[in-house]
Amino acid sequence: MKKRAIGILRAIGLGIFLVVALFPLIWIFLTSIKPATEVYTFPVKYLPSRATFEAYRYLFSFARFNMYFKNSFVVATVSAGFSTFFSLMAGYVLTRERFKLRTFLILVLFFVQMLPTYLIMIPQFTMFSRLKLTNTLTSVIIIYTGFGSAFGTIMARAFLKNLPRTIEEAALIDGCNRFQALFRVVIPLLLPGVGSIFSFCFVNSWNEVFTAVLFLHTDSKMTVPVALYSFVSKAGIQWNVMAAGIIVALLPTIVVFSLAQKYIVEGLTQGAIKA
Amino acid sequence: MKRSKFWILMLVPTFALVFFVNLYPLVRGGVISFQRLTVFNLNNPRFVGWNNYRTILNDPAFPRLLWNTFVWIACSVAFQFLFGLILALLLAKPFFGRGLYMGLVFYPWALSGFAIGLLWSWLLNGQFGIVNDVLIRLGLLKTPIGFLSDERFAMFSVILVNVWYGIPFFAIMLLAAIQSIPSELYEAAQIDGAGFFRKLFSVTLPYIRPTIYSTVLLRIIWVMNFPDIIYGMTRGGPAGATNILSVQMINIVYYRNNFGLASALGMIITAILTIFAVIYLTLLERGEFEL
Repeated sequence: MKKRAIGILRAIGLGIFLVVALFPLIWIFLTSIKPATEVYTFPVKYLPSRATFEAYRYLFSFARFNMYFKNSFVVATVSAGFSTFFSLMAGYVLTRERFKLRTFLILVLFFVQMLPTYLIMIPQFTMFSRLKLTNTLTSVIIIYTGFGSAFGTIMARAFLKNLPRTIEEAALIDGCNRFQALFRVVIPLLLPGVGSIFSFCFVNSWNEVFTAVLFLHTDSKMTVPVALYSFVSKAGIQWNVMAAGIIVALLPTIVVFSLAQKYIVEGLTQGAIKA
Repeated sequence: MKRSKFWILMLVPTFALVFFVNLYPLVRGGVISFQRLTVFNLNNPRFVGWNNYRTILNDPAFPRLLWNTFVWIACSVAFQFLFGLILALLLAKPFFGRGLYMGLVFYPWALSGFAIGLLWSWLLNGQFGIVNDVLIRLGLLKTPIGFLSDERFAMFSVILVNVWYGIPFFAIMLLAAIQSIPSELYEAAQIDGAGFFRKLFSVTLPYIRPTIYSTVLLRIIWVMNFPDIIYGMTRGGPAGATNILSVQMINIVYYRNNFGLASALGMIITAILTIFAVIYLTLLERGEFEL
């Protein structure tokens, strides 16, 4: 009897968390498919009288969201790719080798996690403007790769620690050099970890807004967050269009998260801290 | 190839980038904080000594900025932890469909804070917001309230959203820790006749203490560094009611283009962050948790 009561309480608790988590997203989606006339009503009209994709059409034709989307995609994929590659190399050395500076280097990586984006974006801006690289996707790719590599190295270490050394040693005895041992033997065994690092870096790059707004200002260079930012600044944007923009901004991370959820959670709890 | 050459080569890309993109800019930021530097004189800054720092510390709004930052951090982290712990405890025992459930409940953690802020600013809209609508239909309110436009509610609203956003992170970390507790400990408590709360306070919480320490500390640093949600919702308004240090710094960059002033504020934030970083390192050193 008591057990059953606890079970019911638990189910109610779980239900509340689920509703609270999902409701905002569902609501913004419903707003995005409402006809413009039903967006601003009070009391609120919960379900649209008919579903329309006008707002999305506006985004992708008039507001050129396909271009922003492409830019964001290039930036996030390229920076996540490089980050993953670099952090596997660094993570490997910092796990397998013992040398004097090792602890210091690991602490540097943790320290870098604590530096907020907005703090270093001004010096980054002056540096990149001297290199004539502001307002290029290259600039933000380099910056995001820096963040991603630091963070990815910490994650890579967590995964590599769990991988027995004997496997690579066997490969080395079989005549592989150390690069080959890493890329032909270790990394294939580490695929969930690799996927987890890549997804993390992708999501972080996709979501970054403040550096992007400072660096990218011409229309053809904008990423999705920058476009959303400029939406807010422009008066008179309809909320159904805004809602569609938000859905477009969130969609890739939701897709990545649902595909890699298990590995992302694993990567997070294995010692990598998002900060 | 010699061993040492090999590992130096492997470390170069990451650490060269970290130096170029993070560490050198940090030092440069320190230099800029003593300069008058705007978009218009990027290549010929002027040295102004402590002027920027004086401007910031003498601003009559500064004490309020500090207070807001404190309230933002304390309330956000406390409630993220509390609800994260409850969720982790609910998830601790397996049930049918738990994997799917975790995916659905944890997803907000991976979303863009700025977009989340925008999303919630629509839900909390004072004229057409669904939160107002629900509260009125339940009979809890007579007329809609301006969650974001009314100074009395604005800080409460942004914290609410930040709590919503941060629950999954705590839940993930705490759940992992809870699942590593050996079941014998619970069995022993069971034999001693311990109830739910007794088990929670005598077994669960003490066992996961290292995770709690490290997660809470890192969250304090992260929340202090996290202007995204406030930026998406209010940009620090109305009338500075939700303005915190990091939001103020971004406003100085974007609206006043005064990079020297913004950098000085940035260095002040770094100084405050350093305190938490030192606490973190001290606990690390004492073996409360490990890297």
